[in-house]
Amino acid sequence: MPSLVHPGADVAAARLTDLTYWYPNSALPALDGVSLDFCDGITVVAGPSGGGKSTLLRVLNGLVPHFHGGRIAGHAQVAGMDIVQTPTRNLARTVGFVFQDPELQAVYDIVEREVAFGLENIGFPAAAMRDRVDEALAQAGVEHLAGRQVRTLSGGERQRVAIASVLAMRPRVVVLDEPTSQLDPEGASLVISAALRMSEAGRAVLISEHRLERLMQLAADWVVVDGGQAERRDLAAWRSPSTPIRAVRTAAPGADAWSLSGVTAGPAGRAVLHDVDLAGRRGEVVALSGPNGGGKTTLLRVIAGTLAPLAGTIERRPGRIAYLPQNPTALLHRPTVRSEVELTLDRTDDLEGPEVILSTLGLAGLSERYPRDLSSGERQRAALAAVLPGRPDLVLLDEPTRGMDSFARAALIQVVAQLRDAGSAIVLATHDSELRDALADRVALVRGGNVTEQRAVRA
Amino acid sequence: MNARAVAAWSVACVFIVLVTTNPAYKLVVLAAAFVTLLASAGIRRMRRLLIAVTCIGIFDAMLNFVSAHVGRTILFALPDSIPALGGAYTLEALAFGVSGGITIAAAIFAAAPFSLLLQPHDVMDALPNALSRTGTAIAASMNLLPLVVTSFGEVSEAQRLRGWRPRGPASWAEVVVPVVLTSVESSIQLAESMEARGFGSTSRSAFRKAKLEWEHWLVIAASGLAVVLFIAAHAIGGAKDWYAYPSLMAPQIDLPGLVACLLLFIPVLMWPRRA
Repeated sequence: MPSLVHPGADVAAARLTDLTYWYPNSALPALDGVSLDFCDGITVVAGPSGGGKSTLLRVLNGLVPHFHGGRIAGHAQVAGMDIVQTPTRNLARTVGFVFQDPELQAVYDIVEREVAFGLENIGFPAAAMRDRVDEALAQAGVEHLAGRQVRTLSGGERQRVAIASVLAMRPRVVVLDEPTSQLDPEGASLVISAALRMSEAGRAVLISEHRLERLMQLAADWVVVDGGQAERRDLAAWRSPSTPIRAVRTAAPGADAWSLSGVTAGPAGRAVLHDVDLAGRRGEVVALSGPNGGGKTTLLRVIAGTLAPLAGTIERRPGRIAYLPQNPTALLHRPTVRSEVELTLDRTDDLEGPEVILSTLGLAGLSERYPRDLSSGERQRAALAAVLPGRPDLVLLDEPTRGMDSFARAALIQVVAQLRDAGSAIVLATHDSELRDALADRVALVRGGNVTEQRAVRA
Repeated sequence: MNARAVAAWSVACVFIVLVTTNPAYKLVVLAAAFVTLLASAGIRRMRRLLIAVTCIGIFDAMLNFVSAHVGRTILFALPDSIPALGGAYTLEALAFGVSGGITIAAAIFAAAPFSLLLQPHDVMDALPNALSRTGTAIAASMNLLPLVVTSFGEVSEAQRLRGWRPRGPASWAEVVVPVVLTSVESSIQLAESMEARGFGSTSRSAFRKAKLEWEHWLVIAASGLAVVLFIAAHAIGGAKDWYAYPSLMAPQIDLPGLVACLLLFIPVLMWPRRA
């Protein structure tokens, strides 16, 4: 039985020593000679997509290598336990792990049962379980959700329930892998507040994120992972990214491209949007903003013509539509990234080869890779490359920067600006204020199924 | 609502409709199952099930009517030269088919409380400790089913906008392959999440174990009594079976068999209405 150590503030909660890891059938290591200590407080794990952040975090609870297989060299310890020698399920009491997608973590249908799941797994005494569940719900700030059905919760609420479910086991270390990437600003803020409470309670909290502004104000430590190598950086050296430069327009917006008039719409005859009036022109970028569940995706589907309105009228100029769904990975099924792009190009009369979009989105080096083997940010770019070529007349992008690093976001802004200047009408549904600021000509606030506000953005 | 009581009642219903060939008893069990569901779930939640059961029942009755050309009461006949359909169409074949349809409908309604009235955790709470881990894995995988349906809609929509059109079975690969791959990835992520929370580390404890209250015991007792009474009645020459062929006769019904079936109405009084 490995000894359990409760380190003090200056003692590492987790320690990696010259750790190298190869995924199965991979010649190149995903982590290469990583040596790091993680102490109490919040440690921000940053770095580009595909750099190895998720792999590093998964080492800490043993999912790498126990769940994913592959080869590992070097040493890894958490709270005095040898990670390589201890199965993940036994590390669960010590390391809590919250994943990126809140929809794929729930086992039970009721919140309090979901929070109790880990306790049941470790054989925690039933008599004391209720108190422990209540304590965890309070720590995560979701005690008011105790009896709710998980499927009725928003993304932010679900993610905090996931946090409560790991806190119930009173772990020494809590790891959050891009926990806010799918959340609206309000949901993200609540998750970050929960992380702060965890660190104040004396836990080591590791968070991988791309949006660092708020986290860096709370962080005790900062680690950058890139190309499989990790290094600790001085927090004082971190600088907030400069205000995004607005993509310069080379052509003025043209004629009307699409319009909704008095549109009420929703799936299965249930109205999600109510009496919406909205329009866009060729060469114009309209950004849809607003909380999760407000109706942005439904609005995109109505504009695309894949969801018929229950009332009202839609007018749309004929032409090709490029649509990036909220879960872009679902599109990808070809053996390489390049063949995904070629599939779309084959269906258009565009003579442009796949290289242009691949290189613009920084995918040239990944073009022969299997798309589903890529990191989440890289997959997002691959999906964009798959839908955007061929000079579409209407471009509809649902949360296009999800999981993207700053480089990828800059590349996306460039591509969208080119399409805009070439006359494409563009609609973005996004929580990303930097993307909005860089591209949007108009912002429509979609809340509770209504477009409650429209404002033009000064160029 | 206790899943063990529901299971006892469901088993009793299914047992009686399968063990007897008498459509009168089957009809009473069907009525018990239908009324119980109606009282607990309400007609709105039953609507899809009702349509499905009606279609299946009618299909089963028609299948026998069309395929079993036996019986003395000929309603009409088609020339023997017509493949599969040719021959005499008899009242006996129709009656036997209807009886089969009632059997299927009663069995489906009897099993329906597991999906319409119980939540997955209700079933898991009722499982013995030895099955707890298996039950958890099944409940978790059931959570993925709605995601697969959603994924199918999303993928077909997105591929259509990417230029895909359904042209024969091979073209569906462009939709089916991503849906399958996404489902597999979702399963792996869920498994990762379960593993990370200690699933499989030791014997599981339970947040709550289902307790059997008196009303649950009453349903279990009534269900058990229904089965015993029906078997006993059958053993002493009552609860007679029924045969449609060669000539149609009215099914006989006697008090012990009827009482056994009527006991299955007990949950109507015991089970609360679920919103």
